[in-house]
Amino acid sequence: MSASLEKGVRVLKEVIDAPIASYFNSCVHCGLCAEACLFYTETGDPKYTPIHKLEPLRRIYEQEYTLLGRLKKMAGLSKPVTDAELDEWQELVYNSCTLCARCSAVCPVGNDIVYMVRKFREGMSAAGHAPEGIKGAVNRTITIGSPMGVKLPAVQAQMKHVEADYGIPIPLDAEGAEYMVMLSSMEIINFPEYLGAIAKIMHQAGKTWTLCSTAFEATNAGMQIGNSDLARVLVSRIVDGAEKLKVKTVISPECGHAYTALRWEGANLIGRPFTFEVKHILEVLAEFQEKGLLKTEGFETDKLTFHDPCQLVRRGGVIQQPRKLINQVAKNFVEMPDSGFMNWCCGGGGGASAIEEGAELRLEAFRKKKSQLDAVKPDRLVTACANCRIVLEEGLEHYQMDIPVVGLTEMIAEHLPERQKPEGS
Amino acid sequence: MLNNDKDFKAKLDVLPIADQRHVAALFVMRVFPLSSDARLKNAIEMSQREGVMEAELASACQIANTARVESFTRCGRETDWTAQAGHFVAKAAVACVRPAGEGGNLAWDAAMSARMARTCETVATGEGTDNNEAGEQYRILEAFLNNQGTRP
Repeated sequence: MSASLEKGVRVLKEVIDAPIASYFNSCVHCGLCAEACLFYTETGDPKYTPIHKLEPLRRIYEQEYTLLGRLKKMAGLSKPVTDAELDEWQELVYNSCTLCARCSAVCPVGNDIVYMVRKFREGMSAAGHAPEGIKGAVNRTITIGSPMGVKLPAVQAQMKHVEADYGIPIPLDAEGAEYMVMLSSMEIINFPEYLGAIAKIMHQAGKTWTLCSTAFEATNAGMQIGNSDLARVLVSRIVDGAEKLKVKTVISPECGHAYTALRWEGANLIGRPFTFEVKHILEVLAEFQEKGLLKTEGFETDKLTFHDPCQLVRRGGVIQQPRKLINQVAKNFVEMPDSGFMNWCCGGGGGASAIEEGAELRLEAFRKKKSQLDAVKPDRLVTACANCRIVLEEGLEHYQMDIPVVGLTEMIAEHLPERQKPEGS
Repeated sequence: MLNNDKDFKAKLDVLPIADQRHVAALFVMRVFPLSSDARLKNAIEMSQREGVMEAELASACQIANTARVESFTRCGRETDWTAQAGHFVAKAAVACVRPAGEGGNLAWDAAMSARMARTCETVATGEGTDNNEAGEQYRILEAFLNNQGTRP
């Protein structure tokens, strides 16, 4: 057994906790999780059945923690997990799993399969079987602080660009601001308009806000690769920044996993409660809307539909907020089949879009999104995740579907009246 | 003399759509060397051609949009700021030929994307992010407006 395999198997033994043991024991092999996974439904290949993706982990559980399994192991009747097997499983655990949690949502016995996949990724990562694309993102996160290698000068350049474009100053390290706004690398690199939209909205609402020079990046590559230690370091960086600036609320950007990492896992990762609140940008916008701080004018009249990012709806329950926001500025909003809690993934979440060798499979899986869109034939597609946005654009381009994709925060900002004085001023 | 974005935008806002396309193309041409995608040339040509048909614009827009989508930096990939400059050139080229009814001022959008392209270039070279793309755009617009005044 190689040193890396030994380490990986040790980690896999360690990650098997009471929930995982009970999940393996509870599985009734019904196959419902297969029908919930777009990689299975679009390929028909049974290897993409979610619970099957955990087979090496299940065997380790059986061999190490069940009486019969131990006896079989002692008698040499069980098959040990090998490097070759973990190598084969890389495609199943990373390329064909976006951690969308649809499988967990349909499991009739309540098995949180995506929780198990994430734990399995910890062992895969320790054994050296994470995909190169995700390993690269992790290395850049450790050395530079951003999975895509974005440094502070690039953020400052974008701030300067946005200030010129929108004519509103972008605060940096403003102590005592109410909100600390996080960005994902994707927004810094591809979507500067997101930061401009935030500036406009905060200006109109009369709220104080700031970026943080030591914690501008929200993406958590530790979550994606399956490395709790790294995930903890990344969350700590944000916590330190927020506490240093004494902000009341940290706003997670239009990035699904960033939200899950900080909002739902963050406090557990660092082992103490936060001294501030964490909200997704859509939750903040919905609060502004309820308080009458989001005054818009005019309506979109073309047919719009909304792609729910998986982490927002299935992990965060942020379902009604985007709909209320869209309906404030749109006259013709339609729902795709399966929208909301059971929406289908774009196919690129959970680090999948960083895996170059998974591109073909992603596009095959995108047929599910295509069928959802074909059912309603929208003029434009709205979403609230920068990664979803690019994966959707890629898929739409591949299938030659002329449907522009827009970010919800930006769409709201476009409807703010020009030159309105801030509410609080 | 133009020296701020407020006046710059105000002047762009009153241009007829054909002139908006023409000026947008001039903005893109300045940053075009930052892209290695020959598919964008068509968009620039179409946006400057007199009497161009809607179908020609739509076709050029589709081609430029493909270049834009293909040049996104994907989530988790290492950022190549030079390539990203090319992405924003493509985005600016799309603005030149996009349908008139999509709202916003397409010349302004092309100008902003061209500035982002230049910013990406400066990030790539690591020599500070200051640049004079905005000033050059003011000069281009002024020259364009002056030429209009001297036309027969």
